[in-house]
Amino acid sequence: MIKKVCLLSFFLVSYGLIFGQRKPIAFTEYTLNNGLHVILHQDNSTPIVAVTIMYHVGSKNEDPKRTGFAHFFEHLLFEGSENIKRGQFDKYITNAGGANNANTTNDRTFYYEVLPSNQLELGLWLESERLLHAKIDQTGVETQREVVKEEKRQRYDNQPYGTILPEILKRAYTVHPYRWSTIGSLDHLNAATLEEFMDFYKTFYVPENAVLSIAGDLDIEETKRLVEKYFGDIPRGGKTIPRPAVVEPPKTREVRDVVFDKIQLPAVIQAYHMPAQGTEDSYALDMLSTLLSGGESARLNRALIDEQQKALFVGSFPFASEDPGLYLTFGIANMGVNVDELEKAMNSEIEQVQNELISEREFQKIRNQIENDFVSSNSTVAGIAESLADYHMYFGDANLINTEIERYMQVTREDIRRVAKKYLQPTNRVVLHYLPESAKNKPNSAELENEN
Amino acid sequence: MRKYLSLLYFSLFVTTISQAQVDRSKAPAPGPAPEIKIGEYQSFTLPNGLKVFVVENDKLPSVSFSLTLDREPIMEGDKAGYVAIAGLMLAHGTTSRSKAQLDEEIDFIGASLNTSPTGIFASSLSRHKEKLLELMTDVLFNPAFPPDEFDKIVKQTKSALAANKEDPGAIMSDVRSVLLYGKDHPYGELTTESTVDNLTVDDCKTYYQKYFKPNIGYLAVVGDISFNQSKTLITKYFGGWQKGAVDKPAYEIPNPPDQTFVALVDRPGAVQSVLSITYPVVLKPGEPDVIRARLLNQILGGSFSSRLMQNLREDKGYTYGARSSLSSDELVGSFAASANVRNEVTDSAVHEFLYELKKMRDDGAQEQELKSAKAYIIGSFARSLEQPQTIANFAINTARYNLPEDYYQNYLKNLEMVTIDDIRSMAEKYIKPDNAYIIAVGKAQDIAEKLERFGRVKYYNIYGEHYDPTQAKLPDGLTAAQVIDNYIMALGGKDNLAKVNTLKTTMKATAMGQEMEIIDIRAKGMRSRKELLAGGNPFSQAISNGEDAVVIQMGQKSTLDEKTKEEQIITNALFPELQYEKLGVTINLAGTDKIEGNDVYTLEVTLPSGGKFTEYFDARSGLKLRYVKTLETPQGSLTQTIDFADYKEVEGILFPHSFSQRVGPQNITGVVSNVEVNGDVDENAFKVE
Repeated sequence: MIKKVCLLSFFLVSYGLIFGQRKPIAFTEYTLNNGLHVILHQDNSTPIVAVTIMYHVGSKNEDPKRTGFAHFFEHLLFEGSENIKRGQFDKYITNAGGANNANTTNDRTFYYEVLPSNQLELGLWLESERLLHAKIDQTGVETQREVVKEEKRQRYDNQPYGTILPEILKRAYTVHPYRWSTIGSLDHLNAATLEEFMDFYKTFYVPENAVLSIAGDLDIEETKRLVEKYFGDIPRGGKTIPRPAVVEPPKTREVRDVVFDKIQLPAVIQAYHMPAQGTEDSYALDMLSTLLSGGESARLNRALIDEQQKALFVGSFPFASEDPGLYLTFGIANMGVNVDELEKAMNSEIEQVQNELISEREFQKIRNQIENDFVSSNSTVAGIAESLADYHMYFGDANLINTEIERYMQVTREDIRRVAKKYLQPTNRVVLHYLPESAKNKPNSAELENEN
Repeated sequence: MRKYLSLLYFSLFVTTISQAQVDRSKAPAPGPAPEIKIGEYQSFTLPNGLKVFVVENDKLPSVSFSLTLDREPIMEGDKAGYVAIAGLMLAHGTTSRSKAQLDEEIDFIGASLNTSPTGIFASSLSRHKEKLLELMTDVLFNPAFPPDEFDKIVKQTKSALAANKEDPGAIMSDVRSVLLYGKDHPYGELTTESTVDNLTVDDCKTYYQKYFKPNIGYLAVVGDISFNQSKTLITKYFGGWQKGAVDKPAYEIPNPPDQTFVALVDRPGAVQSVLSITYPVVLKPGEPDVIRARLLNQILGGSFSSRLMQNLREDKGYTYGARSSLSSDELVGSFAASANVRNEVTDSAVHEFLYELKKMRDDGAQEQELKSAKAYIIGSFARSLEQPQTIANFAINTARYNLPEDYYQNYLKNLEMVTIDDIRSMAEKYIKPDNAYIIAVGKAQDIAEKLERFGRVKYYNIYGEHYDPTQAKLPDGLTAAQVIDNYIMALGGKDNLAKVNTLKTTMKATAMGQEMEIIDIRAKGMRSRKELLAGGNPFSQAISNGEDAVVIQMGQKSTLDEKTKEEQIITNALFPELQYEKLGVTINLAGTDKIEGNDVYTLEVTLPSGGKFTEYFDARSGLKLRYVKTLETPQGSLTQTIDFADYKEVEGILFPHSFSQRVGPQNITGVVSNVEVNGDVDENAFKVE
């Protein structure tokens, strides 16, 4: 009898460890007749509500001759609708005491407003207007074109290291639409006609391509009624939604290049091809990145910043995405440190993970870190609404918000070594050296280029 | 009957519509406003003075401990940077744990722990809280300040400073601080490579010992932990912390500029200008003006629907974002209206900014705008309460700034009471388009001229130092020795100069209306005699025999110290530049300057015993145009400046034929009446006895 009790408590403790003792996030989900998927999460602790809508369109759905469209729409769709005058969209929200914004990735576009809970209906009206009949006219297109150009200058051109992502993407992908970044081409936006914008809207901004996710101080039944009221009669788009079927062929040889930028300290960026998000290997790669750069004691941080003092900053980031993405390692050299030296040091850390199994203690450390991150994420209603929508849109399983941690916990030490070996191979990567413009005419930089 | 029928039909029709369709033509009305309640907190104070605030919240199984020290800002002077580095050093090793051990233990429990000069923040899952507190207090009480870790941070700081030199946002932030507050204010100090070079690990230790005291500390405990448990744990871990006195220095309040001007930081390759229209503002936390001023700023540029964003982005398409801020601070706050705009519209954007500022100052705001601003702030207030940390912050602010106990409870009520007249008076008080710095970090070539219509355009480097852009840059590879060689060449060449054994120059001078004559005799062997005659009578003589020197004034001999003697011997010698190396004189090419429109190279000359002066050589002709020396007098330091002009050839050598000397308020101008090369000189002239 005593034995049994012990076993039971052991079982409970380990269960508790795995699930991080967090209370599960409860939600209701259903699909309207027009295909719009709805997810509702009730949390009455603060009198606010997040109304969010995620469209399954990102830069990868763009015509290669019209890149930047998805992101441009994120701007355009604040211009107004048949019932909302130009410039009033935001005013309705701020006047109600709300906050709102939107963002675009290569896979999806996300709009949200966080409102006082008595303004839930306002949020539904605004989002239904955006979906049903947004106003797309010449004035809006021209204004937002200028705004987007400024956004590009501010974020990419006038920012040290700001062009890294586009420079990497165009070398990492040859056929897949991930080869351009979400900001796209200003020339494409200049060349686009109003009809092309309308067509994009009618294709992608349709209920069957969206997830309406609402979280906060709400009543489920009342919210259902309001959702039906504003979204129920929006017709399906009916068109086939273009999704890229093209598969990027496996890499057979390293691509290496030098980019000169307005910077003082050189940087190394390596981008390795990795499998799509949600695959077993992508979870293992996530844990590998915690091992390499998740915290001050992580391998790259300790070796390059603390012990060898070669880097001012190091990081590794898995850009997991719907189609196979990229695993980036990134280092900015300390003053006076040569880029080649920095890269060599980064590589040697990666080689070590490939050759030696990590210790039990270090493995437990990264599991604890992953658990902490998983448990502490989703601390706001807006964050919960977005996560629910993400999980549904990409995996058809919103409940992963509670259970995805199990997938991480299934990863073994051997898995981490295996994925490091399998994906972090020189032939599978693009390497960029970012150098100061002042190094352009110096012989040592020419040598560097010749090495390629 | 038909009438009735049609009425009936009409009403049926209407009903049908409202059931089948929504009235989309207008925004739905809101439900009754929910009550905004600030969550509960509990507090206690340890005997050592540490004030603790606990907010229980078990939504997530995590907990945070956030320690804040309330001390006055610190002037760091030529050691700027040590305070920040001291903050970092805390987590770089304790007496029992190396940095690597500390990092590993923090990461092992999935925690985060950050240190700063004014506190420590630590968080983890609540089941690790004891371990977390153990690590946090080890860092707090036992930092070891290892010298190798200090060297590492210094190196990283220098690298980060280098990286920031190309970041327009970082440049704006630095230049803005210097302009707003001045370099003699703690907010206006910049950490640079040279200040970092002055730091020692002891500076960090001293800082830590002086300021890490519980009696100026506030500790917020937030999350999945009970009050009683907090009290037990905090007493256990922080109870032994010894209190101590902390000084409170006072600082002068910086003033806004008398007149608006443009401060331009040139970034030749920039595709955008980073703009800020800014000035210091006196507004202290908790003052009644704070809430009113927040509303004012909200209307002007606090959010997306504010005037600035609507005008500069949504109407004109000049920028990705235009905003303003009006901050309160216990010492001095600031106003700033900012945007990043493309080069071509930089002046148009400044015009719109100033237009909006003047409009706000002169006309105030509309009722509807005030209503929206109130709604926006009420909404933000409510949203902020979603994070339990906010409740702790409110409690700490209340204690720290001596706010009324119910300051935050009444915040929204006080906000609601603000009127349109209040906004107008706030605008008059805080919006100052005529006393602002218009700072632009961008491509001067494209924007400088167009900005002149807003005021004088002054150039600043990335350290916020003013400079003259018309001044030439030093040519690559030019050395101090080359400047001297060029000078000797310009005078007539080494060989010609070497042939000179004696030189006698006679000058007619005027000082304060009085006619004087100066006779300047120089001979090989570092011998010289400079005589000033007033009305034909000797007034003073400065004599050197090559080894010794004297000054005689009205017949009275003054004793000179060794440094002054050396200076007189060398500077009055025959072409001393020929012998700088032999004499042990060091020269340093300091930069360029302008004298009456001519580019000049600046040479700092240091004599073996430490005497210093500066000479200026014409970049084109190579000739010496100016000599400048700082004189230490009983009345304080004075600058002596001698200008040389009108070079004319005598025996194949160029000699200046006019000069002017300024010392403080005194002016002497003179012209050379005669230059005699290799004439006879009485040996007795150089006697120092």
